[in-house]
Amino acid sequence: MLELAIGIILGCCALGAGMAMIAGIGPGIGEGNAVAKACEAIGRQPESKGAVTSTMLMGCAIAETTGLYALVIAILLIFVAPGMLVNILMSVI
Amino acid sequence: MAKIDKVVLKETKYIALWVIIFSLIMEAVFLIINKWDYTVLLGNLLSATVGVLNFFLMGLGVQKAVMQEEKEAKQTMKVSNLMRTFLLFVAAVIGVTVSVFNNWAVIIPLFFPRVAILLRPLFDKRKDENKNAE
Repeated sequence: MLELAIGIILGCCALGAGMAMIAGIGPGIGEGNAVAKACEAIGRQPESKGAVTSTMLMGCAIAETTGLYALVIAILLIFVAPGMLVNILMSVI
Repeated sequence: MAKIDKVVLKETKYIALWVIIFSLIMEAVFLIINKWDYTVLLGNLLSATVGVLNFFLMGLGVQKAVMQEEKEAKQTMKVSNLMRTFLLFVAAVIGVTVSVFNNWAVIIPLFFPRVAILLRPLFDKRKDENKNAE
């Protein structure tokens, strides 16, 4: 029974980590779209290249944080949470 | 090797400066709460370096992408994002699994660039006000 409980904990942690990483897809698509529009803007006004690049860099960094949150949560779920949850289970039993 | 854009270097310097400032604050907080040891310092060094490197690589990706056609640019940024996420993943896994790095000191500095960007409008506003006053 204990093995089953530990198995369920590990399985749920792995599933949760996988689901969290779905959020990692968004920033890639978002950054791609932002850069595509920036290319368009620079094509129209080449003199504004510096300003557009600077603003876009900041925007991309902000967009990327969402993926970073997901990554951190996934790593915590894989490497930290199982140990803590199993310890809690053991202390309850 | 392509020449690095001035804008990319400028922004990376700005981010690096703030990451150093926030790292010092974090170290001070660890000292104050009496949890400081060499693992905090090592974790902070690893994570802060990777955070700044990630931003710099993103800058290089953007620099390359703005020279391309729309479709190519999208693809370039997607590949760049994938590679950088992998870099962050490897760094975070090393930081969390290897015991010479403190877990929190590895995770927290990854968010410093974001905080630096959030603070930016405040300083820009102050600069604008000073210019207007002159």
